Amino acid sequence: MKTNLIKTISKIALVLIPTLTLSMTASAHDPKLHAKKPEKADCSKMDHSKMDMKDPVAMAMMKKCMKQAEASSDKMDGKMDHSKMMDDKMDDKDMKKDMKKDEHDNH
Amino acid sequence: MKILKLLLLLVVLGIAAATTVIYSGIVNVAADEPHSDLVYWLLEETRETSIKKAAEDIEVPDLVDPELLLSGGVDYNFMCASCHLKPGQKESDMSVGLYPAPPNLTISAESHEGHEHGDDAQKARKNFWVIKHGIKASGMPAWGKTHDDKRIWAMVAFINRLPTLTPEQYQIITAIE
Ligand code: HEC
Ligand SMILES: [Cu+2]
Repeated sequence: MKTNLIKTISKIALVLIPTLTLSMTASAHDPKLHAKKPEKADCSKMDHSKMDMKDPVAMAMMKKCMKQAEASSDKMDGKMDHSKMMDDKMDDKDMKKDMKKDEHDNH
Repeated sequence: MKILKLLLLLVVLGIAAATTVIYSGIVNVAADEPHSDLVYWLLEETRETSIKKAAEDIEVPDLVDPELLLSGGVDYNFMCASCHLKPGQKESDMSVGLYPAPPNLTISAESHEGHEHGDDAQKARKNFWVIKHGIKASGMPAWGKTHDDKRIWAMVAFINRLPTLTPEQYQIITAIE
């Protein structure tokens, strides 16, 4: 008897809860709140002077905005990849020059 | 023998009372009609104790990686903000219409009273469990059926920082590239 009761209660709950939850979404009204179009990050609002670069939130924002800038510059000129232009290869050359100079000075 | 009879009578009476309550339609299940204080307290205590116990052995991973905020932020904005709001927003259809109401996760837990939230690890454990398993008979779904633990921890990391985010920071972190 008691287990039957519990079963009945759970059956009622099983029907009621999804119904209530679903009918709630159906009564949505302000279309602006429901428009879920993918939005680009608004990076112009970022104020670097106020950002603590050790804070994960600041680092996450920098990452997102750098990726986005990269993606949009890729679209503009497919062949130029700015991210690779600051490669350490350039630094390496400078360093080699320095080293040669050093060798030169040695004799 | 007499005591046994009395007990039996009480049991029968109890079942009769429960049956009457169920089939008389006296219980109002409308979400726009709050529980009585007693019922609310009973449900809340049961829920808090249950979550605390179920979550106590969960190991909390390192949650400071900014990558977690990005993954968790996008997921939160897409799946959770309709009920739990975003910075600068006071209410939504869901936050107003659901009962029990979804807590506003954009304000720090300390600023709402009524129950304890514990230290950071305890809070993270609890949030992870709730996101993964959901809460019965409330609008809170079990996201673990469709999302792996990694993505759920990312949402936990994001929720940790959510009360500190300005609307502009929120927009950047949750935007889809
Ligand atoms: C349909 C509405 C709805 C959606 C969508 C939803 N939740 Fe919830 N959530 C709730 C409700 C309602 C509660 C409170 C349940 C209760 O009090 O019994 C809750 C509770 C919680 C809690 C516990 C908070 C506390 O302090 O006790 C967390 C954490 C949470 N939700 C996270 C999430 C996350 C993360 C997502 C998205 C992946 C999400 N929720 C999506 C309705 C929702
Ligand atoms: Cu709370």
